[in-house]
Amino acid sequence: MITCEGLTKTFGSITAIQDFTLEIPDGCIFGLLGPNGSGKTTTMRMLSCLIQPTSGKALIDSYDIHDKTDAQKIRGMIGLLPEVPGLYETLGAYKNLDFYGQFYGVPKQKRDESIKRTLTNLGLWDRRNEPVGGFSKGMKQKIAIARALTHDPKYIFLDEPTASLDPAAAKLVREYILELKKRGNTILINTHNLSEAERICDTVALLKNKIVKVGHPKELARGLFARTISITLQKIPSSLLPEISSLRYISEAQVNGNQLILRIRNPEENNPQVITWLIQKGLQVQFVSEEEYSLEDVYLKLIEEEGQ
Amino acid sequence: MHWRNAWIVMRKDLAEFRKQKLVIGSIVAMPIILGVIFPLATFVPIITMIPQGESWDVPGLLELGSLPDDFIVPWTNQTIAESSFTEVVLHHKTLKNVNLSNCIIISCILEDVIVINSTIQNSSLERTYLENVTVVRSEGRELDGRYILSVSSNLLFIRTKPSEINQVLPMMFNMMLMIFIIVPATLPTIIAPYSIVGEKNNRSLEPLLATPTTDGELLAGKIFSSFVPSMGSTLLAFALGVVLLDVILLPQVNYPLMPNLTWILSVVLLAPTTCLMSVLACVLVSSKVSDVRAAQQLGGFVVMPMVVLMIGVLSGFLFLSPLMVLVFAGLYGCLDLGLFYFVKAVFNREKILTTWK
Repeated sequence: MITCEGLTKTFGSITAIQDFTLEIPDGCIFGLLGPNGSGKTTTMRMLSCLIQPTSGKALIDSYDIHDKTDAQKIRGMIGLLPEVPGLYETLGAYKNLDFYGQFYGVPKQKRDESIKRTLTNLGLWDRRNEPVGGFSKGMKQKIAIARALTHDPKYIFLDEPTASLDPAAAKLVREYILELKKRGNTILINTHNLSEAERICDTVALLKNKIVKVGHPKELARGLFARTISITLQKIPSSLLPEISSLRYISEAQVNGNQLILRIRNPEENNPQVITWLIQKGLQVQFVSEEEYSLEDVYLKLIEEEGQ
Repeated sequence: MHWRNAWIVMRKDLAEFRKQKLVIGSIVAMPIILGVIFPLATFVPIITMIPQGESWDVPGLLELGSLPDDFIVPWTNQTIAESSFTEVVLHHKTLKNVNLSNCIIISCILEDVIVINSTIQNSSLERTYLENVTVVRSEGRELDGRYILSVSSNLLFIRTKPSEINQVLPMMFNMMLMIFIIVPATLPTIIAPYSIVGEKNNRSLEPLLATPTTDGELLAGKIFSSFVPSMGSTLLAFALGVVLLDVILLPQVNYPLMPNLTWILSVVLLAPTTCLMSVLACVLVSSKVSDVRAAQQLGGFVVMPMVVLMIGVLSGFLFLSPLMVLVFAGLYGCLDLGLFYFVKAVFNREKILTTWK
C-alpha cells in the first residue's frame, strides 16, 4: 500500500504539488489526471525516490521515502516508465532490458525468461537484437514499458504509458496493464488520456498542484452532475414542458426535437413515475436512456472550477 | 557500496562504446600514433645520424661523465686503483674478478649489475645508485645498499660519450615516457565528459536513477568505463612503443634497453593514477554542466596540469627517477581518492533531473 500524507514539493517559489494526501491500496490501478504542470510527474518522482519532498511523508509498504536505506528498497520494488523512454539507442532491445534486470539482482535465467515473455507479449521478440535507435516512437515506448517490468516489480509507475502509441498498440498496452492488475500489481498511471483512465483506472485523482478530487471516474461524475434522463416521444405537445417541470422530483426539463431531457434527483425511484405520468397523458414513449457524463466532462468542469 | 552495480554500469557503457566507431577510432589511433609513429619518427633519424663507431662501440656501458684512462671493456679480471668514476651508468653488466681499490665512485648508476668475486675496498661511493645489484663474495664496507639508495635522487640519467646527438637521447627517452603519462590523461577527455550529461541528454538518466543503484555505485561505474579503455589503450601504446624502441636500439646496445624500472613504475603506478585523476575531473565536469559540448570543452582543460609536468620534464627541471615516479604516483593516488569523495558529495541527482533541460 502507498500512503501519502501532506506530500509537498516546491522548486524555489513554485509549488509543484501541495498537501498530497491519499492512500493507494494494493492491487489497484490508480490514475493521476491533470493539466501540464499540475504536479503529476513530480508526485511520481517523489514516490519513486528520485526527488525528495519539501515536506510531508509517504510510505510504500511501510518503507519511508525520506530514508536513504528505505529509498533503495523502494526503488527495488518499483518499475518506472518515465515520460520519455530514455533507451540506449545503440543497443538492442534485449540488451537494454537485460542491463536494467541486472540491477535488481534477477538471476540470468529468470531475467531471460522475463525479457522473452515481455517482448513477446509486446510483439518485439523477433527484433530484440536490432539497435533501438532505428525503432519508431511507439516501439521504443513498448520497450520502455518492458524495461519497467523486467524485474517483476510490485509497484508499477507509468508516466503517460500510451503517449505516442498508435490505437492498436495503445489497446495492447491497456490490456497488458489490466493483465498486470490481475497478477496483483499496483499500478500508478499519469495520463492526459481521459477515456483511457476511465477504461482502466479503479480510482483517479484530479490534480492541479493539489488534489482536486479523488474517486472512481463514474462516482466523480455522479457527484458532480445531476443525473439526466433522455426520453424519446413520438410527439411532444407544446404544453408538456411547463407541466412536467412542475413535478416535484424534476429539477430541470428541456425539449430537443422529440427528445425530452430531464434532470431527475433519483432516477431509480422516479423514472417509473415519470413514464406512467407520460402514458397517462396519452403520449407514446419510444426510448428511455440515461445520459452518461464522461471523465472528460468531470475533468473539464473541475479544472474550470479550480481556475475560477 | 555494491561493486556489482558499478560493474553493470561499466559493462553497459563499454557495450555502448563498442557501437561508437568514432570513439573506438580515437582510442585505437592514439596508441598507434604515439606508440609506433612517434619512436619511428624520432629515434630512427637520430640513430642514423650517429656516426658509426661513436659511443655504441661500448655495448651496455653508458657514460655521461668521465671514465679512467686505463679503463678497458669488458670489466673482467681487472684491477683498477686510485681511479675516479663520475656519472657512470652501468646497465645489465657483470663485474667479475674486478678489484677496485682506493677509487672514488661519484654519482653513478649501476642498474641490473652483478658483482661477482670482486672487491670494492677503500673506495668511496657517493650519491651512487645501485638497483638490482647482486654482490657475490665481494668486499667493501661502503657497499651499503640502503645508504646508497637513500642518496640516489640527485642523479642524472644516462649516457654515451658527450656528442651532441647523444645528449639529445636522454631527453628523447624522457619525452617518450611522458607520452605514456599524457595518453592516459588525454583519452578520458574523449569519453568521460559524456558520462553523466550524455545520459541526461539521452533521457536515460531518470530510469537509471530509478534503479536501486546508489550515487557512489553509479559514479564508480562511470569512472571505470572511462578508465578501462583509456588505460587499455595506454598499455597498448606502451607495449608497442617499448618493443619498437628496443628493435630500433638493439643493434646499438645489444640488449633490450626498455622498459627499465622507471618506465615500469610509470606505466604501472603513475599512468593509472594520472588517468584516474583525468577521469574524475571529467566526470565532475559532466555532472555539473548541462550540455555535452560544454562538458567536452571543459574536460580538455583537465590535461593542463599534465602538460605542465611534461614541460617540467622536457625542460630538465624535473627528472623522472623511480623515486620521483613513486612520489608523484602516491600524490596523485591521494588526490584521486579525495576527488572521488568530492565528486560523490557534489553529485546531486535531484538537481540534474529537475533543472537540466
